Amino acid sequence: MDKPGPPASIECTGLSRLFDGSILAVDGIDITFAAGRTTALLGPSGCGKSTLLRLIAGLEEPTTGQVRIAGEPPAALCRQGGLSIAFQDPCLLPWLTVARNVALGRKLARQAPDPQGVDQIINLVGLGGFQNARPASLSGGMRQRAAIARALITRPRVLLLDEPFGALDALTRRQLAQDLPPLWQDQAATTLLVTHSVDEAVMLAHRIVILSPRPARVVADIAVPLPQPRNPESPAFRRIVGEVLAQLARGGEMAQSLAAQ
Amino acid sequence: MTPAARWTGLAALLALWQGLALAGGGWPLAGPLEVAGWLWSNPGLTGRAVAVTLANAAWGFVLGNAAALGLAVIAALWPRAQNLVAGLALVVFCLPLIATGPILRVLMGPGDGPQIVLAALAVYYTTLIPMLAGLRAIPSAWLDLVQSYGRGRWAELAHVRARASLPYLLAGLQISAPAAILGAMVGEFTGAERGLGVLTIRFTRDLDIAALWSMAVVAAGLSIAVYAAIGWAGRRALPGAPPVILAPPRLIRGSPARRLADTALLTAAALTLWWAGVELLDLNPFLAKRPPDVAAAFFGSPDTRAALLDAAAKTLALAVPGYLAGLALGAGLAVLLSLRPGLAGLTVPLAVALRSIPIVTTAPLIVLLLGRGAAGTVTLVAVMVFFPTFVACQQGLRQAPGPILDLFRSHASGPWRQMLHVRIPAMLPALFASARMSVPAAILAATVAEWLATGRGLGNLMALSASVSDYTMLWLAMVAVTLISATIYGGIAWAERRVLSVMAPEQVRP
Ligand SMILES: Nc1ncnc2c1ncn2[C@@H]1O[C@H](COP(=O)(O)OP(=O)(O)OP(=O)(O)O)[C@@H](O)[C@H]1O
Ligand SMILES: [Mg+2]
Repeated sequence: MDKPGPPASIECTGLSRLFDGSILAVDGIDITFAAGRTTALLGPSGCGKSTLLRLIAGLEEPTTGQVRIAGEPPAALCRQGGLSIAFQDPCLLPWLTVARNVALGRKLARQAPDPQGVDQIINLVGLGGFQNARPASLSGGMRQRAAIARALITRPRVLLLDEPFGALDALTRRQLAQDLPPLWQDQAATTLLVTHSVDEAVMLAHRIVILSPRPARVVADIAVPLPQPRNPESPAFRRIVGEVLAQLARGGEMAQSLAAQ
Repeated sequence: MTPAARWTGLAALLALWQGLALAGGGWPLAGPLEVAGWLWSNPGLTGRAVAVTLANAAWGFVLGNAAALGLAVIAALWPRAQNLVAGLALVVFCLPLIATGPILRVLMGPGDGPQIVLAALAVYYTTLIPMLAGLRAIPSAWLDLVQSYGRGRWAELAHVRARASLPYLLAGLQISAPAAILGAMVGEFTGAERGLGVLTIRFTRDLDIAALWSMAVVAAGLSIAVYAAIGWAGRRALPGAPPVILAPPRLIRGSPARRLADTALLTAAALTLWWAGVELLDLNPFLAKRPPDVAAAFFGSPDTRAALLDAAAKTLALAVPGYLAGLALGAGLAVLLSLRPGLAGLTVPLAVALRSIPIVTTAPLIVLLLGRGAAGTVTLVAVMVFFPTFVACQQGLRQAPGPILDLFRSHASGPWRQMLHVRIPAMLPALFASARMSVPAAILAATVAEWLATGRGLGNLMALSASVSDYTMLWLAMVAVTLISATIYGGIAWAERRVLSVMAPEQVRP
């Protein structure tokens, strides 16, 4: 498989996004995501996580501030096919089979066809045997897995995942959370993972960034210095989960006291 | 509906028709048996005419749809061009076939050219409008996906829009197939040598009732056949529910200032195209008038102006009531059937049949039945407007959001209440879309009736001017008809915005 290049660091400076002149979704975020690391973004619903990912993917223009990926605007990396985003909604084309939807990632990234790679990745996300199924005949969780496969197939330098496990049951979720990290490590892309599950964040990420209720600001930045594979029952794991939960609660209180002022 | 119900309905209609033909003493009616008998004894004549008309219609179908596809792709690649493309397309669609027919006839001679051009003109709009809608009716996330790989409009078109618009293309092609036959036949009315239209005119003159009915039945049968064939091919190619084309993209959107600017641009572009086209093709100035000639005729000669305005008033006096009656009947029957589904067995086969029949080609017959007075013209216009409206409103009624209907049911609200509060508001966008699209069709029906039968109004003025080679008046009438159609269309779009912003705000996009 060809590879667009080494993972790229992402640098956001003074990043804000105002919608319709009044809805401030993202408010002056300064943050750097180191190359090749996985960061989980946690925050209450509607706080601006998806907007932040869209800003980083260049799908949204910042109102102020800027995004730099490997020192360049996001569009540069996008044009090289070096960025993949899996949206909150799986966003598969209904007239294509699963295999063709996954292959579409390579087509759009202007990479040579790679039927074997497509097959492999489909098996990896647990959709083996459904290569020729159409999205309409899949469950919500299967569709999301197909979308993840499409994001991974291009071996991106930056991988943006917006609640990729949102429509999955707890068991499949945990299964995928165990299966996917080796894949990511293998690809070593700079990964941003939006999630609502604290366990998942601690399971998968090198680092957890907690955002405040809208407008999104960074409330806490927690390192997860645990080796993979991680054991969710271990005391170290539970301690970090506790800390993340405490910071999430603090973010909510901060927003409330800000609103009260 | 089951096939059995459909066949029963069809058989009942045929029996009713035969019964009427037997009973209707003084009426110029021929029943199915007489039609079958006439066709049986004239196979050669009928076969040759069918072959000619079908060939012309097929050429027009191909050319018109190719033009529509090209325009739709331009609008998809350059969204700023969409208003202008849709606007110019509407202006061309509003051109009265009765005037363009004779002009094309003198320009192109007695061959098949004019029929083919008229067929192309009759089809391209009904394909362009669904295509414009289809190329845009795409979840924005699909376009984000393409953009996230740094790809542009061509990739959007190739990977997403083209395939996503296919069902819309098929829907448009299906509607345009009967329209191609209509265009070819109107072209044949204007002095061709061969074809179903020529025979229709001849039998009208001879008052040969059985032959005239046979021509109407053949034209209707052909239309139903091509309509059904494309529908069948479409279902084979694209399994899954066909799209519902409720609201074709509006001609003009945005702030009043923007709309004014768009209208001015459109007018300028239409005048430029007209003038430049005539000059570039180096058309004979006696035949092909330029904008200044037409303006001079209107403003310079009070007699010409009075004749034109008088004819326009006469046409509108019949076209407007027929148009309103067609809309009211179409919407009313759709509502009634949704409340009393049992009636559908009888009405739906009729509606499907008549939806695909080019009503205008039966104009001689309707006028023959209802006389040369106002009733014939009003009926023809109403029938022309009725069927598309009925079908659109039926689709619109089905758009009522399920959860809201469930909410009403949970409060034990009856069907009438659901109809008033949920289904009729859900139907309004379809009704308005159909009302807009029917304007040129209504004017066409009115002018054809005037031309072939009643001898008054704009249709007669155009026919008369063509026969005495008064090309200034012909062009003037053509401009007047186009302006009238476009103005009524614009007025309905205005009313639509007003009503929908209150009744269905989510339908009025900024
Ligand atoms: N295109 C838009 N126009 C106007 N407002 C928007 C737009 N996109 C997002 N917003 C607003 O920005 C805020 C943040 O939205 P965003 O989708 O980023 O939230 P989120 O954190 O991803 O929420 P969730 O966890 O529910 O997915 C919301 O208040 C939303 O209403
Ligand atoms: Mg989100």
